[in-house]
Amino acid sequence: MPDAITTDSTAKKKGRLKEILSILLSSKTAMVGFVIVMFWVSVAVFAPYLTQYTPYEQDWKAPNQGPTAQHILGTDELGRDLWARLIYGARVVLVVLPVPEKIVLPGGTAVWGVVIALVIGASLGLIGGYKGGWIDEIVMRLLDAMMAIPVILLYLIIVAAIGASAINVVIAIAIVGVPGIARLVRSLTLDIKTREYIRAAETRGVSAWFIMFADILPNTRGPIIIDAMLRVGYAIFAMGTLGFLGLGMPPPSPDWGSMVAKGRTFILMGSPWAALWPSIAIASLVVGLNLLADGIREESSRYR
Amino acid sequence: MLVFILRRFVLLFLTMVLVSIAVFVIAESSPGNIAKNVLGAFITPEQEASFIIQNGLDKPMHKRYLYWVIGNDRIALKKIGMPLKKITTRKGFEEWWAVKKDGSLLRWKVEKNDLIAINRLPDGTRKDYKDNDRWQTIGNGKKEFWGVDTQNHAVRWVKGDTEKVWAFVTGKGWMESSGGPKEYIPLKKGIIRGDPGISFRTGRPVSKSLFIRLRNSIVLAASAFVIVMPLALLLGMIAGLEEGSVKDRVLSIGGMMFSVVPEFATGIFLTLIFSVWLDWLPGAAVLGASAPWEKPVMLVLPVLTLTLIELGYVLRITRSSMVEVMKSPYIRTAFLKGLPYRQVIMKHAVRNALIAPITVIMLHVNWLLGGIVIVEVVFGYPGLGAYLLDSALYKDFNALEAGAMIMVTAAVGTQLIADIIYTFLNPRIRYA
Repeated sequence: MPDAITTDSTAKKKGRLKEILSILLSSKTAMVGFVIVMFWVSVAVFAPYLTQYTPYEQDWKAPNQGPTAQHILGTDELGRDLWARLIYGARVVLVVLPVPEKIVLPGGTAVWGVVIALVIGASLGLIGGYKGGWIDEIVMRLLDAMMAIPVILLYLIIVAAIGASAINVVIAIAIVGVPGIARLVRSLTLDIKTREYIRAAETRGVSAWFIMFADILPNTRGPIIIDAMLRVGYAIFAMGTLGFLGLGMPPPSPDWGSMVAKGRTFILMGSPWAALWPSIAIASLVVGLNLLADGIREESSRYR
Repeated sequence: MLVFILRRFVLLFLTMVLVSIAVFVIAESSPGNIAKNVLGAFITPEQEASFIIQNGLDKPMHKRYLYWVIGNDRIALKKIGMPLKKITTRKGFEEWWAVKKDGSLLRWKVEKNDLIAINRLPDGTRKDYKDNDRWQTIGNGKKEFWGVDTQNHAVRWVKGDTEKVWAFVTGKGWMESSGGPKEYIPLKKGIIRGDPGISFRTGRPVSKSLFIRLRNSIVLAASAFVIVMPLALLLGMIAGLEEGSVKDRVLSIGGMMFSVVPEFATGIFLTLIFSVWLDWLPGAAVLGASAPWEKPVMLVLPVLTLTLIELGYVLRITRSSMVEVMKSPYIRTAFLKGLPYRQVIMKHAVRNALIAPITVIMLHVNWLLGGIVIVEVVFGYPGLGAYLLDSALYKDFNALEAGAMIMVTAAVGTQLIADIIYTFLNPRIRYA
């Protein structure tokens, strides 16, 4: 019996993989997006093998250079190799989360922010939607108030209060993401709550928490996954913005936003490279993610 | 409908209260750092303590919040027993004075054991005199006095028992002096009475610089809005008319690309194209104190950046609304009746397709505000957003909170307007 179940689930998995692949292949938009995203992911994963420089190495003899044979994208104002900084910057966004004290967690800063927002937002949404009544009212009014604050303001205030570091960027992204996710999960919960299998579980006397997290939550995953994909794109956008405003990673680390902020002052002095490359990087990655999500959404709604 | 709007008003009020608490708590959760920012990193613990007491930062959070919202001049009035008055000097600084019975203004300072009154006569001249009669005897032989000091605090002096203080003296910086009081109430009227306090960065009232910055930002936002709206609605409808056509795909994918790219990246690209490569426009705004409309060429790039970003968003909403309308039965009926294409589109489709975007756009003001902050920083434009960022980085929280409340009011206010417009457009709510 267990064998049969496992083969069944692997077959299902294979089927889903095939489905995703066929969506990718049938939608040009999704394919283009996928290629762009995969480019940045692989560059980020293999960053140490793709350049002979580290992102911190300064060559004070060659500051603010254009692309040359030694530095394929040029150098910044301290003579640091822009290609190295760019791909290590991608690493911070997508692959590693640098916690202070030199400890590094797998999973990029943007990804962590979205995951934490998902955990908190989904819990709030589940509790509000399932319990209803005054709990729901209080949670929703609080979230409404949060949504009324312009996002940029939340970032400014949060970072002003707790300072700038990778962890704080994660916290800022998470806090901003919570209300949207909570609302989405709440509306899904309100719908699922009326289904018969939930009634059955209630009649069996299963505890409310078990119903929320074991019966309702798994059934909300479809819309949540698509939403999460878009949110990663937005988190990258937010990271860039925070870095640009000087609220991102602390200075020497390769952060796309702060690279642009530093390089910006040299644009009118004739060396635009330091600001140009990270701008292109962040623009292409965000556009890629959105193309991918758009393509998948369009393609999957076509057959429904 | 009235009930609906009233309910929205109550909700709006609640939201503002919640937001103001949140903004206040987060912004002021670490008051120690502001002392370091103002006095420099090398201040002694006594200097920091003196600074914190003088600015009332030692008071509990809920009291500070109340003082910030509704002011504390009434509390000070009770202690001093004389009416208080706020005047603005010719240099733009605010000063609090107590009002004497004959209408002239009074402040005090303590030198050794003497209470010195500073009397400001209505013609602006000042004279000092000893005012020891005002000491009031309290228990165990001590004498105290509640009055206004020269730094806009209501303070309690105890005779012969003074503290060392470090006070900000205009033009000289931070100076040490003796004769300090025991207790401080930093006088303010409170934000709902139009006094957001003094900026720690400049020493001037926040409201003054805030007003100029707000005006500049409104000029920027309004110019972008005027350009975006007609353009985006038109393009969105063109795209939505023929779903799936080449025109539609180009417009909607292009619009998406512009709207998801971070504002600073768009700003950099536009600067590179128009001021470095083509050399048509200045790359950074150098406005100083002059109004933005005095050098309109400075406005072009910031407005263009905002336009591109907002364009994509509005375009996509209009498009999807138009697509939906074109599929609806009444459009089919109109076509089958034999009405000319132009008439069907202009009379039946466009009107209905515009309902959704207009309300959604109002909700989008939140995003527009975010965009404005970034665009102002990219181009060095002296607006509210840049002011907020500087205040946040400096932890100048009087300025930060005031700017934040303006932004929140703008965001929440437009949401209310959107709701009201929606009730007019949607009869199901109107007659509920």
